[in-house]
Amino acid sequence: MQAAMNTKRNLVTAALVAPAAAWLCVFLVLPFIAMLIFAFGERAPEGGYQAAFTFAQFANLPTRAAAFWNTLVLAPVGALLCLLVAYPVAYYLAVKANPRYRLILVSLVVVPFWTSLLVRTYAWMYILGSRGIPNLLAMIGIEDVRMLNTPGAVLLGIVYGYLPLMIMPIYVSLEKLDRRLLEASADLGGRPVSTFFGVTLPLSLPGVMTGVALVTILLLGEYLIPQLLGGGKVFFIGNALVDLFLQSRNWPFGSAIAVTLVAVVVVVLMVAMRIAWKVAGTRQVDLV
Amino acid sequence: MTKWYRENAPITADKLADELMRLKRGSVTRRHFLGVTGLGLATAVLARQPGLFNSAAFAGDLGTQMSIATWPNYHDPATFEAFTAATGVAVEVNVFGSNEEMLAKLQAGGTGWDLFVPTNYTISTYVKLGLIDELDMSKLPNYDASTETARFTNEGIVEGKTYAVPKNWGTTGIAVNSNKIKAPVTSWKEFFDVAITEADGRAMVHDYQLTTIGNALVALGYSFNSIKPDELVKAEELLIRVKPHLYAINSDYQPSMRATDAWMTMCWTNDGAQLNRDMPEIQFVLGKDGGEIWSDFYAIPKSAANKAAGYALLNYLMTPENAVKEHIANGAPTTDSRVLKLLPAEVTSNKIVYPDEAALTPLEFGAAVTLTDPGRAELMARFKSA
Amino acid sequence: MRAFVSSVYLFLYAPIALVVLFSFNAGRNASEFTGFSTAWYGKALGNTFLVAALQNSLMIAFTSAALAAVFGTMAALGMERLGTRTRAVFDALFAAAIVVPGVVIGIATLVALVAVFSFVNPALATIWPGDQPPQFGLGYGSIIAAHGLFSMALVTMIVKARIASLGRDIVEASSDLYATPLTTFRLIVLPQILPSILAGFLLAFTFSFDDFIIAFFVAGSKTTLPIYVFASIRRGVTPEINAIATLVLVASLLLILTARVLMREKKSKSGE
Repeated sequence: MQAAMNTKRNLVTAALVAPAAAWLCVFLVLPFIAMLIFAFGERAPEGGYQAAFTFAQFANLPTRAAAFWNTLVLAPVGALLCLLVAYPVAYYLAVKANPRYRLILVSLVVVPFWTSLLVRTYAWMYILGSRGIPNLLAMIGIEDVRMLNTPGAVLLGIVYGYLPLMIMPIYVSLEKLDRRLLEASADLGGRPVSTFFGVTLPLSLPGVMTGVALVTILLLGEYLIPQLLGGGKVFFIGNALVDLFLQSRNWPFGSAIAVTLVAVVVVVLMVAMRIAWKVAGTRQVDLV
Repeated sequence: MTKWYRENAPITADKLADELMRLKRGSVTRRHFLGVTGLGLATAVLARQPGLFNSAAFAGDLGTQMSIATWPNYHDPATFEAFTAATGVAVEVNVFGSNEEMLAKLQAGGTGWDLFVPTNYTISTYVKLGLIDELDMSKLPNYDASTETARFTNEGIVEGKTYAVPKNWGTTGIAVNSNKIKAPVTSWKEFFDVAITEADGRAMVHDYQLTTIGNALVALGYSFNSIKPDELVKAEELLIRVKPHLYAINSDYQPSMRATDAWMTMCWTNDGAQLNRDMPEIQFVLGKDGGEIWSDFYAIPKSAANKAAGYALLNYLMTPENAVKEHIANGAPTTDSRVLKLLPAEVTSNKIVYPDEAALTPLEFGAAVTLTDPGRAELMARFKSA
Repeated sequence: MRAFVSSVYLFLYAPIALVVLFSFNAGRNASEFTGFSTAWYGKALGNTFLVAALQNSLMIAFTSAALAAVFGTMAALGMERLGTRTRAVFDALFAAAIVVPGVVIGIATLVALVAVFSFVNPALATIWPGDQPPQFGLGYGSIIAAHGLFSMALVTMIVKARIASLGRDIVEASSDLYATPLTTFRLIVLPQILPSILAGFLLAFTFSFDDFIIAFFVAGSKTTLPIYVFASIRRGVTPEINAIATLVLVASLLLILTARVLMREKKSKSGE
C-alpha cells in the first residue's frame, strides 16, 4: 500500500517536471554541447563549420581581448552609473513620495519597458545625432559637437535602457524598510545624513546588490545598444560574436567566444555573490 | 435587397459584373479590381489562411508576397509599388551592408529571399556552394544578353550557364562634404590621411571587408584584392591606426552624410550620385591610386520559397522602361544599351555616374578569393573589435 | 531631490515622447518634423509585412509565455517533491537559462538546430515514401522554444518563491481534512500562486515581445516586430515604425490600466 502510494507520488512528480526537463535538455543542454563541439572545430574554407579537434579557436581568443576588455569595463561602469541615477529615484519613491501617487509613479518607471527598446534606442540616435542636441548647442554657439558613436553615447543608452531594472529591486528593498527605524534614529538624535548612512543604506544593500549584479550580467551579453549608439566602433563581446556568425562566418571561433563569455558570466556572478554576502551580510540575494 | 443597402453598398451588382468582365479581359489590374470592389481587404484576410483560399488562382501562381535582399538606398520604392500594383505581389525589401553578410545568411539557411543582389566576385562561390539556381532564361523574356556590356556581365555566367543577370555597374569612391573638408581628397592615401586630421571623428568606412581592407591596401600601394599576409598586416596596421578617428564603421552612410554627422566616407557610385543630387556640396571622387569597379547582379537563391514571383520581379526589372526609372532614382550606371538610350542626357553626362574611361583605369574588379579568404575575414573582424 | 527625480522621469520619457511625436509626422523622414498627419497609422496598418511581423510577435510571445507559465508552474510544484540532489541540478539549469546571455542562447540554438537538421533532413528524405519529404527548418518553432526556455525558468523561479512563502502547514491542514491532493491544489494552492503565475506570464510575454537578439539568430525566414524594426533602421525608418510603436504603447497602457481597475474592484469586493 505504502509502496504503491510512493510509486504514484513519484509518477506525479515525474510528470510535473518532465516537460521542463525535456525543454531544458533539448534547448539548453544540447545546444551548449553542440557549441562546445563546434568550439573545437575548424572554419570550413567557405565559412561555417567543419569537424576537427583543435584548440586553435581558444588560442585565437586574445585577438578579441579589446572587445572582452570593453565589455568587462563598460558593463560594471554602466551598472554603477545606473545605480547612481536609480538610487535617489528609488529612495524618493519608497520614502518620500506621497503614498497616494506612489503606485502611479512606480508604474511609470515600468511603462517604458512596454515600448520596444529598439525604437527607444533609435530615438536616442536622433537625439544624439547632429539634428538633436548638437543642433541646439550650435544655436548657442558651440559648433560641431559630436555625441553619437562614442563610448559616452553607449553608456547613456545603457543607463537609459537598464534604469527600470535598477530602480525596482532597490525600491522593493527600501519599501520593506520599517519607517519606525528611521523615526527611532531621528529620535535618538541622528541627523538625516547619519540616519541614511547608518540605517537606510545598509538595509537597502541587498536591493542594490541585486540591481547591480542583474544589470552587469545582462550587459555582458549586450549587442543592440553598442550596435546602434556606438556606430560599430564601441564593440562589446556580443557584437564580436554576432560579427563572427553574420560576417566572417567563423562558427567555431564564434562558439569558442560564446563558451568563454558564459565562463566570464559565471565568474562575474560568483564574484558578485561573494561581494554581496560580504557587504550585505546576508545570503538572501535574489537575482530574479 | 433594401433600397438603403443598394444605395450604400460599396459597389452595385451591375458594376461588380462590369468590373469582373474588365478584369477578365485584362484591361484592369487585379489591384484595381480588388480596390474598386472592396474585395481587397477580404482577400487579404483570406489569403492569410493557407488552404482556405487559393490565392494562386488570382495572381497566376505568383502568390501574394515575396522578399528581396539588396543594398541600402538601392531601389526606387515606386518600382516595387508598381510591381505590386501590377501583380498583387507585395515585395519585402531587406538590406545588407556586405556580400559576406548575405552569404552568411544563405549558408545558415532559411532566408526566405526570392531574389537577391550579389556582386560580381561572389557568384562563382555561390554556384560552387550550390546556393543559387541556374536561371531559366525562358522566364526572363525581357532580358536581352545581346544588349549587355560583356565586361560587366561575364561573371554571371559560370561554365556556360547563366546564374545571374546584371543590375548595374559602379565604382567605390570617396564622398566628401566640401563645406567641411578643404584638404584635397583624390586618392585613398589622402582619404586615410584626412580621416585622422581634418576629418577627425567624421570619416566613415564600410562594414565590408572587400572595400575597407581593399582601399587600405590601395592606399599603401598594394592591389585591392591582395591576400598576401605581409600586405594584409600593413593594411591592418593602417586601419587600426585610423579606427579611433572614425565616425563609424557602417555601410549605410547616407543618413550620416545627409545629417552632416559624417563629412567623408567610402562611397558607392549610386550613393554618391544620390547625395550629390540632393546636396551639391557632397562630391564624389575616384581614387587615382585605385579602388573598386564592380557590377551587381540579380540571382535567385536555391532555397527561394516563391521562385515564380522572383522571376516575375526580375523580368519586370529587366524591362527597359522599368529599368530606366530605377537607374534614374538609384544613380548607378547601366550595363544595358537599351536602357542607356532611354536615359536623359543629364544622367548620361553626369561624370559621377559615367566617369571618363581614364578615371576607371586604375580600378580593379573584386576577386572571388577575397570573399572566402579567412585572412581577410579575420582581419576585418579584428579591426572592428579592436 | 524632487527636481532630480523629475528630471529622471523626463529622461525616461523624452525619447518615448519623440517616438509618439514623429508618428504624427507628415513627412516621410523619421528625422525631420514637417507637419501633423495621421497618415502613417493608415500606412502602417496597410503594410502587409509590418502587420505580419506584429502578428508573428504577438503569436510567438503568447505561445511561449503560455507554455512557460504551464510548464514552469508544473516544474515549480514538482521540484518541491524532488530529492535534494535532483533539485540542485534543476536549480542550476534554470539559473543557467536565466543568466546565459541572449546572444549565446541564440547562437547555441542556431548551431545545434542547424547541426540536427543537417542530418535529420537527408535521413527523412531517404526513408520518406513520397516525393516531397518534410523539411525541418528554423522558424516559429525555434523562436518559441528559445524564448520559452528563458520564460519557463523565469516562471519557475517566481512561482517557486511564492510556494516557499506559503508554508507547508496550510497544505498539511488541508490533507488532514481528507482533501485529495488535487482538491487541495485547486482550492488552496492554486489561488495562492495564481498572481505569481500571472506575473510570470506577463514578464515572459514582455520579454519575448521585445527580444531581438535571440530571434535574430533562430528566426530563419520569419520576421518578428523587433527584427522588422532593426531591418528598417538599416533601410531608413519611416514614421510607420513610430506609429506601430505608439499603438503598442497605448495598447499596453490600456492593459495595465484595466488590470489596475480590475484589481481594485476585486480588493474592494473582498473588503480589503
